[in-house]
Formats: sequence, structure tokens, C-alpha cells
Amino acid sequence: MRYDLIIIGMGLSGLMAAKTAAGEGKKVLIVGKGMGALCLLSNTIDVLGQFPKIIRMRDNLFQWIKDHPQHPYSKVGLEKIEEALNSFLSLFPPPYSFQTVDHMNCLIPTGAGTLRPTYFIPITMVEGTSLNEGKALIVGLKGFKDFYAHYVADQLKCRGVNVSLSDLLHGEITTTYLGRLMEKNSFIKNIGREIKKQLNGENLIGFPALLGVHDPIQVKNNLEEIIGAKVFEIPTLPPSIPGMRIFNRFKEWLIQKGVTFLLGYPVSKVTLKGKKCEGIEVSHPPVTTSYSADRYILASGRFMGGGLEGTAEKIFEPIFHLPIPQPQSRGGWFEKKFFTVSPHRIHRVGILTNNAFQPIDERGGLILENVWVAGSILAHHHFIDEKSREGIEITTGYWATKKAME
Amino acid sequence: MKIKAEVLIIGGGATGVGISRDLALRGIPSVLIEKGDFASGASGRNHGLFHSGGRYAVSDPEAAHECISENKILRRIAPHCIEETDGFFISLPEEGLDYRERFLRACEKVGIQTTLLSRDEALEQEPELNPNLLSAVRVPDGAIDPFALVLGNAKDAEEHGAKILLHTEIISLILNGDKVKGAKVKDLYQGEEYFVEASYIINATGAWASQTLKLAGLPIGMALSKGSMLITNRRLTHRVINRCRPPFDGDIIVPNHTVSILGTTSIRLEEVENFEVTPHEVSLLIQETSKMIPAIQGTRLIRAYAGIRPLFQSEEKGDDRAISRGFVLMDHEKRDGIKNLVTITGGKLMTYRLMAEKTSDLICKKMGTNVPCSTHSKPLPGANRPTGLTERLKQFTTDRGEVLCDCELIQKEEVKALLEKEKLKNFQDILHRTRLAKGTCQGGFCVYRLFGLLHELRKIEGDSNKILKGFLEERWKGIRPVLWGTALKEEELIESIYKGIFNL
Repeated sequence: MRYDLIIIGMGLSGLMAAKTAAGEGKKVLIVGKGMGALCLLSNTIDVLGQFPKIIRMRDNLFQWIKDHPQHPYSKVGLEKIEEALNSFLSLFPPPYSFQTVDHMNCLIPTGAGTLRPTYFIPITMVEGTSLNEGKALIVGLKGFKDFYAHYVADQLKCRGVNVSLSDLLHGEITTTYLGRLMEKNSFIKNIGREIKKQLNGENLIGFPALLGVHDPIQVKNNLEEIIGAKVFEIPTLPPSIPGMRIFNRFKEWLIQKGVTFLLGYPVSKVTLKGKKCEGIEVSHPPVTTSYSADRYILASGRFMGGGLEGTAEKIFEPIFHLPIPQPQSRGGWFEKKFFTVSPHRIHRVGILTNNAFQPIDERGGLILENVWVAGSILAHHHFIDEKSREGIEITTGYWATKKAME
Repeated sequence: MKIKAEVLIIGGGATGVGISRDLALRGIPSVLIEKGDFASGASGRNHGLFHSGGRYAVSDPEAAHECISENKILRRIAPHCIEETDGFFISLPEEGLDYRERFLRACEKVGIQTTLLSRDEALEQEPELNPNLLSAVRVPDGAIDPFALVLGNAKDAEEHGAKILLHTEIISLILNGDKVKGAKVKDLYQGEEYFVEASYIINATGAWASQTLKLAGLPIGMALSKGSMLITNRRLTHRVINRCRPPFDGDIIVPNHTVSILGTTSIRLEEVENFEVTPHEVSLLIQETSKMIPAIQGTRLIRAYAGIRPLFQSEEKGDDRAISRGFVLMDHEKRDGIKNLVTITGGKLMTYRLMAEKTSDLICKKMGTNVPCSTHSKPLPGANRPTGLTERLKQFTTDRGEVLCDCELIQKEEVKALLEKEKLKNFQDILHRTRLAKGTCQGGFCVYRLFGLLHELRKIEGDSNKILKGFLEERWKGIRPVLWGTALKEEELIESIYKGIFNL
């Protein structure tokens, strides 16, 4: 079977690439080893979080592009960045939509009781951005080990409580288990009543980000009605329920558009002829299946996703074996301190591309004519420190695919 | 504030608490001060080998003899701190069998029991061994839990009237003629400085011995030798594996609970603080130990760490391994005319009890009393606790409840009980007393949960994130040298959590 486009990687950049191609009626295959960092780490959409709250994101990006000509954002360009972000947002119509606070970074409370700058937030987190306008109560669940209400509350200088529920007496309580439990009306009623009992003049309830996997707005509304106070979500340790919502929405939309969705299988081999990729092999033991397409998008992520690997000697890209310019030895990968002013050098390492996101060597020569690269595997960004993870994934996934289809 | 003590012991390593217990059992009260937690120096930073003495049999028969006799005593008094694994000294084709013959003769001379095993016999018992090995010699090596040993001694000492002050640093020693009157000390948590008046003072500060003596104007020559070790994320062998050749870098693999420890290097240092494990040491240790167990090449490492061996130096020698690992008991009355000051340094964890005995004997002589030592026959608290496989299996079959650490299966209740029982001053003290942060993720998840628990129990106030950042920085020292392969995935995850989601 032949496709117009094969996308390797099912993180946010791969999904965005699939959406972009499928939206233009292309025949698309997306293949992923796993669900990507999206379902672990993404709660909100960061674009450039390191900038202060008071500047509009458009102005931030304008300046950033001017100052960082090699950065992926600069290759996409301001206008297309906005186009890409809008394309992402269009997948999430109300009620579960994403929004900004006045087109600037906003600060949301986290599971460590810190405030974290981010750009687009789901509306389940909006009330958290204006904590000081109300009186907040942080609520945790007894027996749930990945969120600590008192820890968060002590840092945010408000009150924290743990509610205990008889529904939770059995077995290990995980984020996903709770996320699903929250969709049961009886459970919401119990938890809502317990929280209401604990109220002492508070009008805002901070809750770990697990208000349901499928219909968080319904869960939020039900809870608010029972408690009589506004409820907002606080991102905490992985996995991320808000990330899963994004994944599920993409999956549903892509499958509906006829995209072939192959989750859980690694690409075991690619066939190259000259400067062209002729096909991929996907391994699902004992069967190996071959697929081919006119064009390919590599969106396999960094180390966590398996897009990059490192031995004690060197860093390499395991699928196409694209060159990875890197420090001479592993002694140069990481700084002596974990928290550093300048990011660890390993995080800037990645695949070099031209402005159309095609892989090039260090002299600028094109390596593969029908392969485009998107997402965190790209060189010249350090998304952890820049707080640009989702922004880079969305915009490069979008624009690399647009270029591939030209 | 002012404290009066019969004997003041400086240093809370194995030797210091050993002396504290020894004196207490003889009915002599003492006060011990330690600037950190128990076993913060070499006592807690070694490979946890329960020596048979085989390692020193050829090069240092005296040290070997001390080891084997303490080996027999500790099996009786501290069985709960020891895993009786036995050890192999394996001969590889590279070095042939010459050393093995010398080794067997030397062991016989000092009384270390040996059994010679053929290649096939050795492989049957330890299948991960290099299949090209020529033979193995079995000796009564084992694995020891240094922290449990030190805590056991401290507990028994306190029960017999000794006083132990942790997180208390010595500021100065006050001389008065031919005596030390006492010490000015500082409580590092309250910030309070006070005077400890003492009739006798014992300097048991290991690698810091010379620094401590400088406070009295009496420096001694010490060689500081850094030994680096690596921890694998699984246990490679049941037994201790030694290479049968003269002591060298990377010649030992010690099992420890669920992991193995690869050791060691020997590098001369000028300073007792601020040392790190270099990439070269990591490569060297992997290269050498994988000659004994080839699977080490592909095994994930979870941490690198180093300790400082306090080696007493009577004269300059080129090779630190040539300096005796034996201990030095220094009577400053003879050396410097200071009547009531004694220094005990050098030696090793294995001989801590003997060192304590000899030191206490000297103090008794100075006091003019004649109470004999009893630490060789009185078991430590907890020694009659069953420690076999059945006990360990029980842990897994009982209802575990909420688990804080998924790597090492530490329950919330276990940590809660510890917090209620002991008055711990900081969260590092908690980490020392549990296996939290000892597993594959090195505390990447469970330390956050520990902070959560501390807040829940109202045991901590203020800016926890500053302490959390401090922990992550400390953790970094251990993992940075071994970051490649799958560890890189985890690094990205942990960095994304703390710098990303939590914006620390």
C-alpha cells in the first residue's frame, strides 16, 4: 500500500504533521513506538515561557526570531507560527478549548507549589492564573502519592486538605485510575461533598490535573455545582491527563479523516536509494510489514522518545543515521551543576535542517530529498530551558509538513 | 551552655561510634560529636565489602590477619548487618596462575580458609563470570551494610549511657599546658556555640584527622586516597568477585541488596572536600571489571560515588596501595606531650571494632582503670533478628499499602514510623535511614513524595523547593558520570519534570 506521507513518531509534532496532511486530503500513515512525551509531560502549550508576563507573545517571538536565526521558530517564521498554533487550536472547540490570558504568558500553579509561565492553557486551568483574586483551597486525595495538597498550599501560602474516600481504599491509586474514576457521577458526588465539608470561606478549589480523561468540562461543572466554588486543575508528576486529552482528540480526528494509525510499533528499518527514502519496515513480531510513501516526516523525539540515542562514546539518530554534530566526548554533554544558567550542551544537539526542514550535513548539503524533520529532535533549541516544548512541536510539525506537500 | 564529659569523641564514623559503645559497655560515659550524620565519611562511602582479608593476604599480612579475626567476630555480634555471600578470587588468562599460588600460601599463613574451584565449578555457581577464567579460590568474603552497623553501635552506646550529638561541628580545641581542656563546638542547626569540657579527647575523624589536630596545632602527615565506585542497576552475582592478582584499579565486584558495586580506583588527593568521579575513572572501572564479568559492558549504571581512604603516612611513598591499610593509634602524650589526647585513624571499616578496642584500652590505661573490653562477645541490638530469605519474602507478601518509592518498594508507613521514632534534623538523615533514592531513578520521584509527606505531617516548613533543588544538585553529582544509554531517557524525563512542569 502506498501513501502520500508517512510520519514516524506519534508525539505532538507527529500528530500535528498528520493533521496538517490529512487536512489537505492526503493519504497518511502515522507510526509510533509509543504515545510520546505528550502524555507524560504536556499539560499546557508552552511557546516561549522564559519571557515575562507583560509582553505579548507576538512581540516575544518577533524578537526571538531576530536574535536566534538558527532556531526552529526562525525557520518557520512568525506568520506561520501563528497559523500553526491556530491550526492546533481549531481541533479544540469549546467547551474544552485552549486560551491565553491577554496573548501573554500567564502563571499557573504547579504540583511543587511553584508558579510556572505558559501560554495556551485549557479552560480547566484558567482560574489558577488569578489565585490572588480569590481565596484558594488546595485539595489532595488520601492515598494518591503523586500530588501533595499541603506541600502545594504551604508554598502558595494558602490552605491544603486531603480528602479521604472509601471508594479509594482498594489497590494502588494512580493518576490514570483517578482520571477515569472522576468520570463516575457517584464518585464526583462523594468527593464534592467531602470537599464542601472542608470549605472555610474559600471560593477557589485547586485540584490535581485529573478531572476526567474524556469530558473534563462536565466533571468540572458537576464538581463546582456540588461544592459551590470554582475548581481548577494543577499539573503534577507524569503521566499527564491533559496531555492524554490532546492525544485522544488528535487520534479521534485523524482516524475519522482516514489516517492509518499504527500505535505501539517501532520502525525497524528504512530503505534508502541514493538521496531518497523508498520505504520503511515496521516490526510487530513475528511479522514485519513494509510501507512506502512519496514523502516522509521524521518526528521521533529526543532521547525519551528514542529519536536520539547515546552510547558512552557518541550520540546518534538510529533510524536514518542522520549526522548529529555534538561535543567531542561525553564529558561535554552535561554541565557540572544540574541547575545551570546556560542549558546542558546535550540539549542543543539534534538534526540540522535547511529552512524547509529537510536534513542537511554540516556543510549545508541536502542528505535526503523526500524526508522532512519535525519536533524536538531538531537542533538549535533547548526546549526545557526555553519553555517552548509544545510550541516547537506544533509549529515544526505543521510547517515541515506544509513544505513536504509543496 | 556548657557540657561536661569524661571522654569527648570527635567523629561519628564506625570508629567513633565503636569507641562510644566500647567505653559505654565498660561503664565509661562519653560524648560524641559529629558534624554531619553518622557515617558521612569513609564509613558510608565504600564498597561494603565484608573482608575475609584475602585482598591483603599477599601484600599486607598484618592487615589480612586483623580482617579475618574481625570477620569471625562480626559474624557473631552483627549478623543482621552482614550477608554471608562468600567471595571468589578469579584467575584470568592475562595474568596466569603465579599470583594464585602466592595467594593460597599467604591465606594459609594468616588463617583465611580457601577452597580451590575449577573453571566449571566456578561458572556453575556464578554464570556471569568470564568463561575464559582459569580457576577461582573461594574465601569467606561477604557484604556488609555499613550504615546499619554504625547505627547499631550508636544505639547500643546510647542505651548504655553514651551521648551522641549529630550535626555538631568542632570549632576549636582549647589547650591548657599539657592538656586539652575541651572543645568549642557549634550546633549546625540552632547555630549555638558552646564549650564541651572533657578529661580525655579522642580524635576519630578519619580523613579529617589532620585537620582536627591542626585545631590544637599538631598536624600529622596523612595521605588522602580517593576510591571511586559505580553502582549497577541489578545484582550481577551472588558472591563477591575479586581478581586474583596484586591489588589494582577495578578488581572487585561486591553484591549489595539488589545491586552490585564495582570498585575501585586509588587517586591521591590534596583536599578532603570537593572531589568527583571523573569520566576516565568510570571508563577504567568498566573496562577492568568487565574482564571478570563481561555483561557489565551492557549493564545500566545508576550512580558513581567516591570515598576518601584516610591513610597514615609515616614517610613519602609513591603508591598509595603500598601504604598499609592498618590503623594508627597515636598517643599525643608520647608524640607531643599532650597528656589527654588520642588520635585513631587509618584502618578500615572491617577493623572498626578492633580500633575501638585498642583506643578504649589506651584511654583506660590513662585513667588508671582496668575494665576489659566486651565488644567482641556482646551482640549488637537487633542481632537476634532473623535475617534469612523467609524474612525478606515476608516483606513482599504482607499488605504493602501506599508505596513512596517504586524502585525499592518503600512504604509510606515505613517512612512515617521512622519520622515519629527518631528526631531527625534534615531530610538527608531520612534518606540515610531508608532505601529511598537508592534505586534506579535515584530519588527522581520519591524525594518529591517525601517532601509531600513531610508537609502533610507538618514536619517541615518554609521553602521546600530550595531543599529539593539542593537534593537534585547532590543527586546530579552521582548520576552525571554515568549518563548514557537508557539513563539519558531518564535524565530528559527528570529534567523535564523539575525544570519543566515544576519550574524549579
